[in-house]
Amino acid sequence: MNRIFLFLAVSALISTDAISQNGLRDIPDTDPNAQLKAFSVREGASINLFASEPVVSNPVHMNWDSRGRLWVVSSPLYPHIQPGEEENDRVVILEDTTGDGVADKHTVFADNLHIPTAVLPGDGGVYVANSIEVVFLKDTDGDDVADERQVILSGFGTEDTHHLVHTFRWGPEGMFWMNQSIYIHTHLETPYGVRRLLGGGMWHYRPETRRAEVFMKGLVNPWGHAFDDWGQSFLTDGAGGEGINFVFPRSVFKTSPGASRVLSGLNPGQPKHCGLEALTGRHVPDELQGTLAAPDFRGHRINLFQLTDNGSAYTSSQIADLVSSKHRAFRPIDIKMGPDGALYIADWYNPIIQHGEVDFRDPRRDKKHGRIWRITFDDRDLVEKPNLAEAGNEEVVAALHSPEGWTRQLATVEMRNRDRNEMAEALSKVEAPEGADSDLAALRNLWAGQALNRLDEKAVTDLFESKNHKARAAALRAIYYRAEDSGNALALATRAASDPHPQVRLWGVSVLAQLNSPDTVKTALQALEGVEVDEFLDFVIWSICREHADRWTGLTDQGNPFTNVRQLLFAVRALNQPIAVPIILTALRNGELKSDQEIADVADWISKVGTPAHLNEVFQFALAENVSAAHKRIVLEALRNAGRLRKLQPAGDKTRLTRFLQSDDPAVFASAAGLAGLWKLESARAGLKEAFLNAPENEGRARAALEGLVALGGPPSAALFDSIAKSNTTDFLTRSLAVIGRTRMNPVPGAQLALELLPDAPDGKDPHGIFAAFLATKQGPGALAAALKDKTLPSLIALTGMQQASSAATKPQRLVNALQKAGDLKPMKTALTDVEMEAMMNRIANEGDPHKGESIYRRASLQCIVCHAIGGAGGIIGPDMVSIGSSAPVDYLINSLLQPSVKIKEGYHTTLVTLKDGSAFAGAIAREDDNEIVIRDAVGNENRIPKSEIASNNISPVSLMPPGLTAQLREDEFVDLVRFLSELGKDGDFKTPPNRFIRQWQALQPHERTRDDIGHYGEKIFAEDFDGYAWIPIYSNVSGGLPVDETPDVVGRGKNRYAVAQAYVNVAKAGSLKIKLAGKLADLTLFHGETEIELPENGNEVEIELPVKESGRQKLTVAGLKSWGLDKFSLELLDDAGTSQLVELKDF
Amino acid sequence: MKLFLFTIGFAIAISATAFPTSAAPKPLLQSGDRIAFVGNTLIERARLYGHIESALQLAAGESVENLVFRNLGWSADSVFGDSRSYFGAPQEGRDRLDKNISEVKPNVVFLCYGTGEAMSVEQGWTDENAASKTSGAGLNESLTLFIDGYQKLIDRVRNSAGADLREMVLVSPPPLENINSFLPDQSMNNENLARFRDAIRALAKKNDARFVDLFAALGGDDFDGAMAESPLTDNGLHFTEDGYQVLARELVKGLGYEESALTGTQPEAMQAFRDAIIEKNRLFFHRWRPANETYLFLFRKHEQGNNAKEIPMFDPLIAAQEKRIAEARKLVFSGKTKN
Repeated sequence: MNRIFLFLAVSALISTDAISQNGLRDIPDTDPNAQLKAFSVREGASINLFASEPVVSNPVHMNWDSRGRLWVVSSPLYPHIQPGEEENDRVVILEDTTGDGVADKHTVFADNLHIPTAVLPGDGGVYVANSIEVVFLKDTDGDDVADERQVILSGFGTEDTHHLVHTFRWGPEGMFWMNQSIYIHTHLETPYGVRRLLGGGMWHYRPETRRAEVFMKGLVNPWGHAFDDWGQSFLTDGAGGEGINFVFPRSVFKTSPGASRVLSGLNPGQPKHCGLEALTGRHVPDELQGTLAAPDFRGHRINLFQLTDNGSAYTSSQIADLVSSKHRAFRPIDIKMGPDGALYIADWYNPIIQHGEVDFRDPRRDKKHGRIWRITFDDRDLVEKPNLAEAGNEEVVAALHSPEGWTRQLATVEMRNRDRNEMAEALSKVEAPEGADSDLAALRNLWAGQALNRLDEKAVTDLFESKNHKARAAALRAIYYRAEDSGNALALATRAASDPHPQVRLWGVSVLAQLNSPDTVKTALQALEGVEVDEFLDFVIWSICREHADRWTGLTDQGNPFTNVRQLLFAVRALNQPIAVPIILTALRNGELKSDQEIADVADWISKVGTPAHLNEVFQFALAENVSAAHKRIVLEALRNAGRLRKLQPAGDKTRLTRFLQSDDPAVFASAAGLAGLWKLESARAGLKEAFLNAPENEGRARAALEGLVALGGPPSAALFDSIAKSNTTDFLTRSLAVIGRTRMNPVPGAQLALELLPDAPDGKDPHGIFAAFLATKQGPGALAAALKDKTLPSLIALTGMQQASSAATKPQRLVNALQKAGDLKPMKTALTDVEMEAMMNRIANEGDPHKGESIYRRASLQCIVCHAIGGAGGIIGPDMVSIGSSAPVDYLINSLLQPSVKIKEGYHTTLVTLKDGSAFAGAIAREDDNEIVIRDAVGNENRIPKSEIASNNISPVSLMPPGLTAQLREDEFVDLVRFLSELGKDGDFKTPPNRFIRQWQALQPHERTRDDIGHYGEKIFAEDFDGYAWIPIYSNVSGGLPVDETPDVVGRGKNRYAVAQAYVNVAKAGSLKIKLAGKLADLTLFHGETEIELPENGNEVEIELPVKESGRQKLTVAGLKSWGLDKFSLELLDDAGTSQLVELKDF
Repeated sequence: MKLFLFTIGFAIAISATAFPTSAAPKPLLQSGDRIAFVGNTLIERARLYGHIESALQLAAGESVENLVFRNLGWSADSVFGDSRSYFGAPQEGRDRLDKNISEVKPNVVFLCYGTGEAMSVEQGWTDENAASKTSGAGLNESLTLFIDGYQKLIDRVRNSAGADLREMVLVSPPPLENINSFLPDQSMNNENLARFRDAIRALAKKNDARFVDLFAALGGDDFDGAMAESPLTDNGLHFTEDGYQVLARELVKGLGYEESALTGTQPEAMQAFRDAIIEKNRLFFHRWRPANETYLFLFRKHEQGNNAKEIPMFDPLIAAQEKRIAEARKLVFSGKTKN
């Protein structure tokens, strides 16, 4: 409230142009020339200003008409209309009549709109997104001013005005595509019935039939949609950060409400994008043909991605940016190819983006400016602008085969403006140009027919016979929209489900899902056979098993309705119901299901849906002779889940479990220990106690035993924990575990024990999680607070506790106060006065050292990188910081560090789930289904929670980020840290380069073997798979290098100390892997697998081509001798058309 | 205060004159009435044209003054309140409607539901937990569910409106049209709608509410699948601006008002009257259904909730606009007298 008051007060004192309020001193120069000077464009490209204010201000979206005029919607009203304000946002037509690349004519077509978020000329007028509705505006008297307005669709949600229906685009088949974002809930009445879409997703709509259908669901803010040459759809996400997303019918992505399964994008860890366009045509350089251009409005740049086929989907690789800018108000949010073959960019022009974190009425919002930029390629001629609106019918049809995607699209749009019979006739006459790809030409004709609402079924079946899988997939997509009306759809889809190519299968199953035939699921399951089933293909099959469940579940009484038992297992697991259990369990017993995956699938499914008798059958399976430790682990863990989540135990004698407590396998022991507790097996107590007391030797086993002892409970467990916790002669770890155990049983006595032990905590840290044990239950914080009354604690440990308590979603304020008092802590300084803020911002601008700041960010004790990745390198708990500096004002960064809960990024709200037994889980919802919800907590653990146990489920106003994390920093360090954050994403050293650097490594911890053996075997020992080695995750810095002083010192001979880092790369095809190693080569050794690669003796970088005999995971190890001046090294994958991919650290 | 008493007295005198026999039903509207429209797309879009409100004003007569209309329509809403819910189940939508109704404090409520439900038989039309599956079953199941939900809706509207509620009007869905060959044939849906209409009529009777049979009045009972000669809708179900004028006329007739009340007006005065109504509706929309609710009132209000203070600032603007409507209304009636 104070802040707002301050802004108002200050702005009243100064003129509106003199923007010098708090935090506003770096408002960029609004002169277009200042922006021009700040651009760096890709080599061989140039940029010029096409249009600017006052003709356009805050352009939101744009599209071309068939006369080559650019229609732009702009919204100074955004983010929210003020009482008394007119609805006066505009649609403007821009025209370059002289062909010099500058708009010389503009017409205000309409000026009575309310936050228009999309514009699409066609059908003799223009479609405009107008908050809750799509309106069709038409000029009937030729003055280019709308005089008719018709509501076409209504019922789009408005819960957040940057999520409103948006991203209008004509598809190649003449349909109108549109998207909506995460907070929008849409309810449409259509002539075909009610259609609802809750949350993000994409619609397709055919104007003449008025049919609107949901195509896919999810994504946070999908403001970009492009089709490739074959009509496949790709989306970008303005807040999702997975780069290019391959979408198809019924695909579901993150944030879709109630989704029990979601797909990922093709570039995890990428910046976020708004807009998407495929580069095509003769003006575009050969190497960029088909490249996808995606504006990164946070980073003031346009990223480029190239796609390569990969199974049913694609691999997407980023190449060097098309353009980037140092100008902080350059906000590219839409990009379209133009009629002259050049690229046009809508620049929303604003130092402030969006309105969730920054006040609606923040005076820094720019409401006046806006730019359209144009990019051309110096060595390529422009394309002659086609005059489609005045061309004859046959000329328009010929234009469907143009090399320019622009011309093809607008020819399709123009066809729809004309007499359909005449156009159909023209279509039948015009031949594709010579030398054209015959499949593509046939597909374009097919699309043109669809655009006239006439699907040529023979053309579909002919195209399906193509040798090119892309053509077959496109034929299926063409028939998909009207599959129910088609006589051929079932036959084609049935063949497609067994097609040699997985992408054709994906589309075949998508078509099946549209049909009413009784055998759709049986047919779809054939798609599992004979090819590698990737995530995307698996998803569509999973989806149809669920959607068409009524068609097959009744058949299982008579036996397996499918071709084999693996298919049945897939289907029953998809449904997550106890269907056909006897058939599956028989197959488990007789060895028909036997791979690790199959056994894991059966065990997991039975744990979720089985009865005690079913659970006993899998238990017996694990008890049999000759069962591997892996299978035992799987089954015991499944039984544990059944016990924990469903309170179910196997029928029969439970004491059979004790044999697993003898196991040397740590996971088997852990599961068995947990089960012993769950099942209250007194006979297991002695073994558990022994393992617990052996904590210093084997902490993992002791913690597992602790679980069992807590669950067993009773006076013996309490007495054991009491005596150990109080024992001065016992080590701190075991005592901590005892305190935790007692607390878990009853926090009141636990609190007394904790207060005796905590003063001994080393360095004031709580390494074993005593505070966490209190914070995990409803009664814990109160019990600890009560025990602290009139007690004192060393301030460091009190601070540790206070930080943890402050970030707990339950907001245990009493405990926070008690810790503060007991530790004699001063209240944390969290809010700066205006004067302090200004001084701080000055210091950051003048004194902050971003390089020092980066090392502070990476400092282990501060933990930033553990939760916040930068460009995918780091944790995933908080938002990726890749371009935070270019999107967030400095005062926002400062406040967010000091008071993390004040502004919370969308998608990162904490969900607080309280169970009926009083325990609470806080974190992000990872996924959910009918029976359970999975919460990912602040340290990345996933907690499965049965819905039946949930008492309440709320979005918590508290950030997962603890306040006071920066309290331990000196002020100069804080200044450096903020400076570093403020540079992220801006042009310079802290913009994540598109190069495919290895960013996720594991670093070798010191091990006595290296010291002893290096003399005999050399550095080769670092690359060997040796069980005793311990590795810790470590990330490259923003520029791609791994700073060696941050890696553990691996001891070599004498004074030699090594940094040893390892990473894995997946290579799709045998052949070679091209990499570049940079750093002081004299001190570096590189291994591919365990083979040392010869490096030049001197120099600072080398490109190497490694032979790859077999596709799959390649291990790369770099050993850097750090004693003689080596500061960092980097390893980069070079261009290989996307056949290699980095393996994510979590999968190592 | 004197003036107020005089107006009431005058109004009573007039109505006594207009309906001399005690057997005739009392006219629906009385001076000072607050009238709420609750329904689906048909209601929501009516706000854009003002025909229904202007027709009711004219039908009520010059002496029935100070009518306040509040359009609470929501596209594709169901009797369970599906469309009114944001992040929660339909219950959230029903709670929202309760709140809206209790704020409007209506004396008269128009309810219009059934179009989306009748068209979505066998597809499903609600996410209401216990009802979702049934809503996708056959016609009979769907209709029973609909009437059950409608009864609960009536009960909750009565409850939230409180003691001031005097009249409730159940309006049947209008028939669907066939207007061109691109669009689906609506014969089957009209058969369904006729069944819905019958059930709504019975429901109105049971609840002692008025009933207007727009389905019959707009030719639904005579529908033979032929293309409409002069369509009232632009897609078979959503009314055009002119279509609303026809619909409004049938509505006032169905309420027992004389059709002649709507005739003899001067076009300019009527346009100004409707424009004033449309502007009021625009302002009221920003008041009761503001954009950005996530930030203003819901789970991100700790970030931008301070801006919620702007929303009630629409109230004086709406009040001022009601005055302009009253002025424009006077001109309509005075022009009519001249004619």
